[in-house]
Amino acid sequence: MFETLDIFKTAAGAAEHASRRQALIAQNIANADTPGYRGQDVAPFADMVADYDTPMRHTRAGHLQPTSMGAATETILSDGMTSPNGNTVSLETEMMKAAQTRGQFDMAVGVYKSALNILKSSLGR
Amino acid sequence: MDLLAKIQSLSTSGMSAQTDRLRHVSENIANADTPGYHRKLSAFEQVYQAGRPTGEVAAGHTMLDQTALERVYDPAHPMADGDGYYQGSNVNLIVEIADAREAQRSYEANLKMFDHARQMKASLLDLLKR
Repeated sequence: MFETLDIFKTAAGAAEHASRRQALIAQNIANADTPGYRGQDVAPFADMVADYDTPMRHTRAGHLQPTSMGAATETILSDGMTSPNGNTVSLETEMMKAAQTRGQFDMAVGVYKSALNILKSSLGR
Repeated sequence: MDLLAKIQSLSTSGMSAQTDRLRHVSENIANADTPGYHRKLSAFEQVYQAGRPTGEVAAGHTMLDQTALERVYDPAHPMADGDGYYQGSNVNLIVEIADAREAQRSYEANLKMFDHARQMKASLLDLLKR
């Protein structure tokens, strides 16, 4: 029942997007010294919401259906300075992105939690 | 939740690779004065599973630095040749210290990501509390 409420859906999607981005950042940091490794990132969540508002129409059983908001994300190569060994990861940039993503995740969880509280108090508990 | 677990395994692979690198550095520094010692080094490589990169990293095979050994003039040395020179090691302490510092920084970054994932997990589990 909760998934059908838009606010829960958006909050869960944002949290999933943030963890996906955080996973890519962790991968970039782990490979910060791997020769030839190209840094990766995902498209911002705002783009995904725009896509989700005008989704593909599901008119037949065989058609693909969008699953959850943060799920359908393709990875993009982030551009950065290439070091002599062909690696494009900058630890400083990645740490900054990690802090941003952490903030996004906390915000999503916070929204989810307060929506849950509103729901609870409307039920009188 | 599985993504957060993935972050932790990625960071762990990064930390163990950096530890391997730091071990090579300490071996090199310990042997800086060993005659005939070649500096050890290893390049990092991505881990592949069924032909696809898993995103994890591992320290590759250990290689020996093939630059020329230092020629040290010391006629009293037991290994000195006719001209009074013997072959030292090709370890450059400045390079080793710089390498150690870089390994430490990368290790700390990985540790930070591990901690982020742990806290994110905790805040998700917090939702279950009343």
